[in-house]
Amino acid sequence: MGTSRLPIKNLLRKPGRTAALVLLTALLAASVFGGSVVVGSLRSGLQSLEARLGADIIVMPAEAESKVSFKNMLLQGTTGAFYMDAAVLDEVRAAQGVQIAAPQTFLASLKADCCAIKVQIIGIDPDVDFTVKPWIDERYAQGLGDMEVAVGCKVTAGVGETLKIYEQYTRVVAKLAETGTGLDTAVYCNMDTMQKLLAAAEAKGVSHKISSGSDVISAVYVKVKDGADVAQVNSWLNGHIRKVTAVRARSMFTDVSDSLSGIARAARALIGAVWALALVILLVAFAMMIHERRREFAVLRLLGVSRRGLRAEILAETALCGLAGALLGVGVAALGVFPFTTLIETKLGLPYLTPDAGTLLALAGGTVLATLLVGLLAGAWAAARLSRTDPGATLREGA
Amino acid sequence: MKKSIIPAVVILILSLIIAVGSQTFLGACVHDDGSFGACHWACRAILGEGGLLAVLALMALALKRERAGLFIAMIPASALGLLTPGTLIALCKMPTMRCRMLTQPATMILFGAALLAALVGWLMSRRGEK
Amino acid sequence: MLRAENLSMRYFRRTGQANLFYAVKDVDLELCPGEVALLTGRSGSGKTTLLHMLAGLLTPSEGKVWLEDTDLYALPDADLSRLRNRRFGVIPQGRSAVDTLTVLENVLLPQQLRGEKGDVENALRWLDALGIANLRDARPAELSGGELRRMAIARALAGNPDILLADEPTGDLDDENTAAVLSLLRKSAVEEGKAVLLVTHDSEALPYGTRIYRMESGFLRGEDADG
Repeated sequence: MGTSRLPIKNLLRKPGRTAALVLLTALLAASVFGGSVVVGSLRSGLQSLEARLGADIIVMPAEAESKVSFKNMLLQGTTGAFYMDAAVLDEVRAAQGVQIAAPQTFLASLKADCCAIKVQIIGIDPDVDFTVKPWIDERYAQGLGDMEVAVGCKVTAGVGETLKIYEQYTRVVAKLAETGTGLDTAVYCNMDTMQKLLAAAEAKGVSHKISSGSDVISAVYVKVKDGADVAQVNSWLNGHIRKVTAVRARSMFTDVSDSLSGIARAARALIGAVWALALVILLVAFAMMIHERRREFAVLRLLGVSRRGLRAEILAETALCGLAGALLGVGVAALGVFPFTTLIETKLGLPYLTPDAGTLLALAGGTVLATLLVGLLAGAWAAARLSRTDPGATLREGA
Repeated sequence: MKKSIIPAVVILILSLIIAVGSQTFLGACVHDDGSFGACHWACRAILGEGGLLAVLALMALALKRERAGLFIAMIPASALGLLTPGTLIALCKMPTMRCRMLTQPATMILFGAALLAALVGWLMSRRGEK
Repeated sequence: MLRAENLSMRYFRRTGQANLFYAVKDVDLELCPGEVALLTGRSGSGKTTLLHMLAGLLTPSEGKVWLEDTDLYALPDADLSRLRNRRFGVIPQGRSAVDTLTVLENVLLPQQLRGEKGDVENALRWLDALGIANLRDARPAELSGGELRRMAIARALAGNPDILLADEPTGDLDDENTAAVLSLLRKSAVEEGKAVLLVTHDSEALPYGTRIYRMESGFLRGEDADG
């Protein structure tokens, strides 16, 4: 018993004052937790993008728009189709320093059978592919068969369902793990299936041929040999193969990681500003509250509460406020961020992958702890100021 | 007794955001060809439920004596709104559609908050009667 | 029982020529069990300052306060606080309620601060004796000045202290309640052997004192009375 219930009574019986302090700390916690979840998601999104693009060099048609649409496809899931002669693949393979060259072929569906949206279809060569294949293997190790497709996690169709593409029926055999990139909205098949789909598309009037009679591919992913200079291989490819552009994968995404670190910097600055502001406001609020109640505290001293006891009382109140505010803030931020993950990803146009549960828990715990600490700091400061005065002096004021 | 005004005002504000939002900033998209999807009709239903909740909240503000009962009525009314997008009325299948990214989570959170406020309001007004 | 020895309180003030100002100067005073000491004097003469120093609430500039063989201001704060809680009942001037507690909870607070549950029956007896038992569940904000003062008196008495220090306890009270409070305080001295110090400028209080002191500009002048 003792004074242990006094802080709770003090808080519950002044609901207005308590609510103000709790809301203030909640704001602090919400900004920190929300901000760090968004930044963390962007970071893990970029990591997963890099993992999916384990290539050193990407070779694609020289047309100016192919580079742009390639990137949009990866980042935002927009559809894009550009083609070059399949013979390019052999030329790339023949280049010095190239270890693996894996082709991919793109096709945009007209309309999926729901909602007005096009889907990107990506054909891969399972024998040599080293970017998408391991990702598909996680869910479907036996390899994509004829007219079998794997779908990104944001594609509506489920495993076992039939997906109609250009009047061709394909069977969904796997749903892939989330990457937080545009790859989540794409459909994957092997090259044989892709050739059939391309033919069907042509029958529908969607032209992709660059010259009659030859097979087409859209991009070649290149991994260079150990010890080979990526820049050298890249410039050799650019110089010796006609009508293609070779791009170093890393350079392709430097602006992505640049804007990511820009966002991270802005978020950190914002969080810092909110913390500084909230810390000042909290300090002032606690100081004001304690100043306003100094007579009450003097009375407690008069009734035999020691300095230490009074400090404990004040710290207990601020800790309870801080804890309630921190939990509320984390909860509100969670409601503001997690249900809108897809929206944030779309609006930012950057890879966005929510970190795993362990990381999130650590973030939430860290936020609560930090908020509590700030509250205690403010309380301790105010309490220390208070206990410097003799209660007798306080009791005289305005008596 | 007097304090139970606060949840009523909160619910009024929430329901107005829901009602107005369902037709504007939270609304579903119109297809390229101008046709409507199921999500469009879900938003119409949400408009109605938000409106109903707003009227109940206004009544709770005006009729002090009936406040506890009106709060009780708001609980299933908010629950209905909570279940509308996705559960009672289907939305688009693609998770990247606006109705799935924005309308559904936003209305569910708003209706959920209204439900909570109605519960709090009911407890507060019941205790006040005693 | 409680003895002030050469007690002085000095303040710094930026008025007039001298910066040093003595609120209380060289006071020697002893409170004995069974005695009601009346302390009168004009406002500003140092009465309240002296009372606070006697209660261990205000560290004196010079001199000592002895409770039996204990030098109050030589004690660590925790011990002094415990002593104040157990041996002293202080009725300060002005509002002294803990606003978030009910009247009854306020009266029980000193006992609960000791870690005891608090004797509700005893508390209610004191509230009844002071005529405010009906307000037991009221909050201090709902009480008048006189009711608050009586609550503070009940709180001081319910803790069953050895020493009662009351600063203008009848200030806000009507005649009837003034008489009731004064006889209650005198009874606790005479019948229960407490030492009582009553700061007042209410002439009605004079008959209740067993010993009368006057403060004049910080100096204490004794005036014996027979009670």
